[in-house]
Amino acid sequence: MKLLIVEDELKTRSYLKQGLSEAGFVVDHTGDGLDGRHLAMTGDYDLVILDVMLPGMDGWQVLQSLRQAGRDMPVLLLTARDKVDERVKGLELGADDYLVKPFAFSELLARVRTLLRRGKNPQTPDVLRVADLEIDLRRRRAVRAGKKIDLTAKEFALLELLIRHQGEILPRSLIASQVWDMNFDSDTNVIEVAVRRLRAKIDDGFETKLIRTARGMGYVLETTDPT
Amino acid sequence: MKSISLTARLTLLFASASAGVLLLAGLLLSQAIERHFLQQDLEEIAGRLGRVRELLLTATSRRALDALPQQLNDALIGYSTLAVIIAGKDGSRWFASSGDALPQALLKAPPTGEGNPVEWSQGARVYRGVTVGLPTGIPGEEPLTVAVALDITPHMEFMATFRMLLWGAMAVAVGVMALLGWVVARSGLHPLREVVSTIATVTGSRLTQRMNESGVPGELTDLVSAFNAMLGRLEDSFRRLSDFSSDIAHELRTPISNLMTQTDVALGRARSAEEYRAVLHSSLEEYDRMARMIRDMLFLAKADNGMIAINAEPIDLANEVQELFEFYKALAEECGVRLAVSGDGTLEGDKLTLRRAVNNMLSNALRHTLPGGTVSVRIERHDRGVIEVAVENTGEDIPPEHLPRLFDRFYRVDPSRQRNSEGAGLGLAITKSIVEAHGGSVTVNSRGGRTCFSVKLPVRPTNAN
Repeated sequence: MKLLIVEDELKTRSYLKQGLSEAGFVVDHTGDGLDGRHLAMTGDYDLVILDVMLPGMDGWQVLQSLRQAGRDMPVLLLTARDKVDERVKGLELGADDYLVKPFAFSELLARVRTLLRRGKNPQTPDVLRVADLEIDLRRRRAVRAGKKIDLTAKEFALLELLIRHQGEILPRSLIASQVWDMNFDSDTNVIEVAVRRLRAKIDDGFETKLIRTARGMGYVLETTDPT
Repeated sequence: MKSISLTARLTLLFASASAGVLLLAGLLLSQAIERHFLQQDLEEIAGRLGRVRELLLTATSRRALDALPQQLNDALIGYSTLAVIIAGKDGSRWFASSGDALPQALLKAPPTGEGNPVEWSQGARVYRGVTVGLPTGIPGEEPLTVAVALDITPHMEFMATFRMLLWGAMAVAVGVMALLGWVVARSGLHPLREVVSTIATVTGSRLTQRMNESGVPGELTDLVSAFNAMLGRLEDSFRRLSDFSSDIAHELRTPISNLMTQTDVALGRARSAEEYRAVLHSSLEEYDRMARMIRDMLFLAKADNGMIAINAEPIDLANEVQELFEFYKALAEECGVRLAVSGDGTLEGDKLTLRRAVNNMLSNALRHTLPGGTVSVRIERHDRGVIEVAVENTGEDIPPEHLPRLFDRFYRVDPSRQRNSEGAGLGLAITKSIVEAHGGSVTVNSRGGRTCFSVKLPVRPTNAN
């Protein structure tokens, strides 16, 4: 997957590049609006991360000319200003998502992956498997190593989210928004408790622990310990 | 358009009122004088006419009639401004007094009668006259047409002079009245200028100043007390604002000092990757906390500027509360706190922000409930389209002096508890902003081991901004 970062703030740009490269993406970057437009028009990018305030040509104009030229790759706008009309303007001009600074990198990564996944392989199998854990989406049942696990509806939704994003760190805010529809900053310890309970049911008594806490970032479900 | 000054307005009104009165008086006066002159003229004409009538009646024969002109002339001696003309039977001039200013036309016109004089001018002179038919002493003889004219030029000249004097005096009087009006208005408005000069001294650092309500005239006390009330509100907002800025600085100082110390110490000597990782994780948590605080403050700033968008849609409150309970259920179970909801109601409001408002109250209540306690939400429909959502928890009472400030930004009952998982102390302030943006209000009371935060919301949002 090839990404383009158009961001004039040097530190932000280099950390975004590093983070996204390490997450497995091929990353090009520039700090200038005109260069950004040229690259986005000519290069074959799967997604563009576009800052709004840019020298040369601002993010709105870059976005507009991209869409006018029929380039329809997903565009994620970054901005330091959070105004409703700006958000609306961004979405009207054809942005796919909108992230306000300061944001956590894990949040950005999660959104980038969601945008890239959008519209692809919509058909989902009824049964998802990770190691010896198996969940049946139709019958809402979870089984690990042949042993049935009793989960509440929300616990099941949380497990499903973690499995669908296996190997990705999910920020608490994303979990709260996806599982409980809490689309604002809410108590983080609620998520902690919920994950702890889920982990007690999934991992307790098993050799391989599947759910891991990424300290300060969120939670991840994965089969191998990365350290 | 700039409106004209009060002094100018009063002066203008004063001048035009006096001009009106004077004009009326002048018109009445000149009309009275003219009427007087007319009366005088008519009397003079009637006097001469009476004499002519007498003489005509004495002529009982044609001979006597023929001798009459001499007698008429004698009778008219000394009346130089008066002319009499008598027409003969054939319409020719039978007699004319010395002044022959009477035009023949007057005789041909139908008789005007004694009380209806006509006026005309001839050359530079103005005349007033009547034409009547008078019988002679000869029986069976037709009456003679007699015209009497009076030269009223002196009257007219007098009137012209009089009018000029009158209007001149009036113009002067109006000028004087305007000047007096200006002086009166200026001195009358003096207290107002004093109020203005006091207001001019008000600055941000001198908001404690108040104006003396007893020292101003009755008409201005309302203004002064309204102004004082405005000062009070400004002082309050100003204090909150400056408290808010110093709170922000304070809130940021702690995490930043933590980060600096921690990074300094970490860099002090070479460490294992594990130790560096621990420092970075800890920093990330601080950053996350600060980022949340910034988001909350921006939300509040937007609310202050009336920029929270309200997308009104019907909301089933009981259902919303159930969904929030679903979120908090696990945490409440861990803390040994029971959750309960009673009542229901539907209102129109912004789903996302209202959920956030109730969430913040719930989260606050949960934090302050001891194990074994209860958090209960009561939804009640009131009259006049108001719905109340009350979140009550068991636990220690909040001392009454803290109650009015609980919805203030960064306000904490116990300052030493400021750095735990609860965030920056902006939750209830955000609730208040959201509720007010919907045109509702927030209240809190705490007694008998129960603390109750309550919001009252209109069934349809009224634009509070």
